[in-house]
Amino acid sequence: MKKPVALKFDGKQVQADENDSVLAAARANGIFIPSLCYYTGLSTVGACRLCLVEIKGVPRLLSACVTKVAQDMEVATATPKVVRYRRMMLELLFAERNHVCSFCVANGQCELQALAQRLGVVHTRYAYRYPRYQLDASHPKFLHDSNRCILCTRCARVCEEVEGARTWNVMGRGIHSDMMTDLNQPWGESPTCTTCGKCVQVCPTGALAERGVSAGEIRKRENILPYIESMRASGR
Amino acid sequence: MKLLDLDSLSDIRKIGMGKLLPGKPRIGVGLGTCGIGNGAQAVFAALERAIGAAGLDAMLVPVGCFGFCAAEPLVSVHLPGRPLVLLDRVRPEEAPDIVAAIAAHTIPESRALCRIEDWDHFTSQTHFGRGFPQIPLWRDIPFFHGQKKIVLRNCGLINPSDIEEYIAIGGYHAFYHALQKPNPLEIIEEVKRSKLRGRGGAGYPTGTKWALLQKAEADIKYVICNADEGDPGAYMNRNEIESDPHMLLEGMLIGAFATGATEGIVYLRAEYPLAVERLRRAVDEARALGLIGANILGTRFCFEMKLVEGAGAFVCGEETAMIASLEGRAGRPRPRPPFPAQRGLWGKPTNINNVETWCNIPVIIARGGAWFAEIGTSNSSGTKVFSLVGKIKNTGLVEMPLGSPLKRIVYDIGGGAPSGKRVKAVQTGGPSGGCIPASLFDTPVDYEALAGIGAIMGSGGMVVMDEDNCMVDVARYFVEFTHAESCGKCIPCRVDLDQALRMLNRITAGQATDQDLVDLEELSQMIKECSLCGLGQTAPNPVLTTLRHFRHEYEEHLRAKRCRAGICEQMFLSPCENSCPLHMRIPWFLQLLKEGRLEDAAELVWLDNPLPASTGRICQHPCENQCRRAGVDDAVNMREVHRYISDVVLEGDMLDGVLARLLARKLPATGRRVAVVGAGPSGLAAAFYLALFGHAVTVYESREEAGGMLRYALPEYRLPKAMLAKEIRAIERLGVAFEFNRTLGSNLSLDALAADVDAVFLAIGTWKGHAAGITGEDAPGVWHAIGFLEQVVRAKPPEMGRAVVVVGGGNAAIDSARTCLRLGCEVTIVYRRDRRDMPAISAEVDDALREGARLELFYTPLRVVREADGRVAGLECLRTKPGDYDASGRRTPVSTNEKVIFPCNSIIMAVGERPDAAPLRQSAIQVRENDTAAADYVTYQTNRPKVYAGGDLVTGASNVSSTMATGKAAAAAIDRQLMHQDRMSALLGTFEIAPELSVDPPGGPRNESAHLPADARRGSFAEVAAGFTPDQAIAECVRCLRCDVKETCAAHAAGGHRA
Repeated sequence: MKKPVALKFDGKQVQADENDSVLAAARANGIFIPSLCYYTGLSTVGACRLCLVEIKGVPRLLSACVTKVAQDMEVATATPKVVRYRRMMLELLFAERNHVCSFCVANGQCELQALAQRLGVVHTRYAYRYPRYQLDASHPKFLHDSNRCILCTRCARVCEEVEGARTWNVMGRGIHSDMMTDLNQPWGESPTCTTCGKCVQVCPTGALAERGVSAGEIRKRENILPYIESMRASGR
Repeated sequence: MKLLDLDSLSDIRKIGMGKLLPGKPRIGVGLGTCGIGNGAQAVFAALERAIGAAGLDAMLVPVGCFGFCAAEPLVSVHLPGRPLVLLDRVRPEEAPDIVAAIAAHTIPESRALCRIEDWDHFTSQTHFGRGFPQIPLWRDIPFFHGQKKIVLRNCGLINPSDIEEYIAIGGYHAFYHALQKPNPLEIIEEVKRSKLRGRGGAGYPTGTKWALLQKAEADIKYVICNADEGDPGAYMNRNEIESDPHMLLEGMLIGAFATGATEGIVYLRAEYPLAVERLRRAVDEARALGLIGANILGTRFCFEMKLVEGAGAFVCGEETAMIASLEGRAGRPRPRPPFPAQRGLWGKPTNINNVETWCNIPVIIARGGAWFAEIGTSNSSGTKVFSLVGKIKNTGLVEMPLGSPLKRIVYDIGGGAPSGKRVKAVQTGGPSGGCIPASLFDTPVDYEALAGIGAIMGSGGMVVMDEDNCMVDVARYFVEFTHAESCGKCIPCRVDLDQALRMLNRITAGQATDQDLVDLEELSQMIKECSLCGLGQTAPNPVLTTLRHFRHEYEEHLRAKRCRAGICEQMFLSPCENSCPLHMRIPWFLQLLKEGRLEDAAELVWLDNPLPASTGRICQHPCENQCRRAGVDDAVNMREVHRYISDVVLEGDMLDGVLARLLARKLPATGRRVAVVGAGPSGLAAAFYLALFGHAVTVYESREEAGGMLRYALPEYRLPKAMLAKEIRAIERLGVAFEFNRTLGSNLSLDALAADVDAVFLAIGTWKGHAAGITGEDAPGVWHAIGFLEQVVRAKPPEMGRAVVVVGGGNAAIDSARTCLRLGCEVTIVYRRDRRDMPAISAEVDDALREGARLELFYTPLRVVREADGRVAGLECLRTKPGDYDASGRRTPVSTNEKVIFPCNSIIMAVGERPDAAPLRQSAIQVRENDTAAADYVTYQTNRPKVYAGGDLVTGASNVSSTMATGKAAAAAIDRQLMHQDRMSALLGTFEIAPELSVDPPGGPRNESAHLPADARRGSFAEVAAGFTPDQAIAECVRCLRCDVKETCAAHAAGGHRA
């Protein structure tokens, strides 16, 4: 049973379902909260910390994707502090790997790029790390370029939770974390990959792409999962 | 055999008692990991052999650790009816003597650390017996005094691998009684009443946590013990499990029964093999007795127990990550809620507590929650075990009631830093904790108070740091640790920490900018507020606390490119060079002399230090405190070598050659003019470098000759004035002009000077003696040390009478005392603290005593006693005694009521000097509260444009090399300002020397200069120290270990910058 609750976003009164996350409620009401690891239809991991918001009466910042709404909750989505931290977070992502938009298949289609534009991040004050990652072009249909990965783990989640293949996983830890296919075998040799391509569709950047596209040519379908889920629910 | 009821438990208890008090000698050897590491296994074997050889009827058992790591291996000996006696630092070869003593019904008393007559296990008491009154009681040993061993109640006393001994001291009885409670909620109520808080660090109330699990409804519930102790410097959990594993099992059994859990898991570090082995054995023993398994003690309570070895990830201390690890997944945390009590291991309700939390439970049940709540403070009840490590004399495990002030733990129990250095800070809580500076050691150790100053209790690691620890490097080290342990899931922890580490690496390499510090602070705050789990949220604490309490160290790294502690190696040549205020390139001149290149060596010495002969005699030689050769035998006698080099030059015919080389280095004339006010060591140093930079320098001096304190206060027997005059003459020949009898404020105006020249450097020193503030000191017969010394130097020694009392412990006091001895007086030096607290050069104090001075410690002057005619008759003093520790770790003297009169004819007050601030104030120079001039500590610029200040005028009374260093630094800063570039390093140049290294420490023992015999010194102002012979000088050069020869830093830096 759906039970409605009333809450406020930045002073604006809205209604949401009691099981909704703060992020979902915001989206449903047209209120912008940035996010990168969140993807409708996948489990939430609260990893990117971009959706941090301030909630009245809570001393800490909470990530909107994993926080449930509550009656009379007052959410501040864009206080100077969270806006500053979000910008820093994006700057750090740009400094972490090799995000060179002009060469990227996702140029113009990239969620990281779009967020940076929206939040006014025009440069990063931090030292670029310039790590060296090999491009994995072993798969007949797709490319994996860790240089553009932000470790949101959407690919791993869609692969496990929707496709059921569990091809993708995280290896290493800390700054040395990276996405791998199976036990760090070339993607093209993966015995588990079904070549369904969902990982490519959910990837927010150009880290996963279809072969044959050049800079700026990638096209991703948005919100593919509710469709898949409803297909399954209807038993077809 | 399965235990079914209290009777069967009592049967076992009797068997165990027969082992604990066997009616024959019982010898226990502390076989914890730390004891074994110190050779306890060999001691055990030696004792076994000796017992066999002697045919002694005694029981030899392995026991756990009694906590005093610094005194390992520990052996306990108990003879029936006598106290248990602890022997410390036992060596295997002593075993036959120990056994022989025991066979003779005694113990080797001379080897005893302490005795224990009665022991409270809190679940029972043991009465060992009486006797051996000569051996101190354990509570009277400083390390144990004030400790309350609740968690460590059995550690070091029972055999950890014998459940019968545990049951003998009342073990599993609390569990038995808990099982009899009709309602398990009563147990939770008891725990709530105890106010026990989680000992893992966060301090969440244990009873409340249990109640959450108890309320959760599920077919299976889990209790987990977090024994994944991973903080650097923390090892209390390891010892608790190694020494007394059953207390953990009993605690978990009680918790499981109270909350309805049926399975328990201990998540234990695989790096603790002995703890794994003993705990595994304990579980088997408990299972064999039916304490684990189905229908425990004949009830319907069933409980299974599993041990899982953690794979060494620090993040698995985070409960959701630990659960992931237990489920076979990578140890990465997830957001909470849901909390483990709602959805934990395998999705079932789960409760996780730290080892120490569980270990407290049996005592709380046995003695009652109210009893427990009485211990410690109202918000933080009970005790906490701390591992006291680092720069501390008594390392070990210390269990204190919560709320005990830090200074008690560090100074009273820990005994302060070894080798007499100053304790600077304590790092609590490991990488998640913070650095607490010595000035805050009054802070009580409880959850709230520590959080209030930015630190955390953590699991109880306390790493003590002294003046040789660089706080920036400490922060860097901990960030490097958390950076390596971050799981990488969330952006702040993964990328922020990496950037923070890079910034810290840049700072410690001397390559950072002010912006790095701003960014570092902002990043740290962001990681703290934005990270997903506790690891990230606390990781910046070491940075934030060191920034809060030791910001000056960061700034010194940034601005002065200096690491005072001598840790950040990329910023200096060698430890001696780094600790030399003048940054003399010591290994180079040693090497040059060794290579026979005397003139090169002299050139280098003069370039680095314009008064090398004077400093070679009177410098405090901080270089020796850092010399690595001291780790082999004794520090290299570097001061005497540069005295030797400069004496050879000044007394021989080499000065012209050296000066010609310096003049060749002199930079072209700039046309700029600089005035130096004050011809003391600071002013002379500044003038020397300013002249070499090519500026026209004039030095204005109020007295009739140059040299300042060196000329007018240093006694002739330490520094012959003829030598000083030659050095000053050399400076003059480099192009420095002098104007004498010009006094600032009377016939010299700063305004006029500043209008006339391009820069002014003020270095007028500290010539005003401090008043001691006692009755009668302003009348004849009482002298200030500096005024007295000046009169003697001017060959007009005042009439002092037969007996003189000198008040003070600094160099001025010792100089005055030794001068009076030479004038034929009897001298008593009165000082209010201990000998080791005296700021004077230690060798000078030794010399004064050798020459016949009397030293009266722990007296503070009260009043001058005078005859009816006004003549001084004596100094009345108040006896002091060492009181509480101050921020420097010295004990503040507190007055007693005891008064003593030291009879004398005159008194010299040497209790400090201060500048004459009047001319500064007239000239609108900003002056600090203590009358020193306010100047930047890197550029020495004052509030007035073009005007710089240095020397003692800025720092307060210091010593010759420190005061010269300010002149040198100010000259560089003035030149930078005038010429818009940094020309100092170009001026100092570089010298080609052989990178000679030998595998074994080269050379022989340390050489000392010959000294005039003490009895030949009375009545004579002849120089005491003769200086090195040529052979001695070369022999001393050879002893240098050449710390300046390093591998290229690139390889080292690459380690910290893995991409």
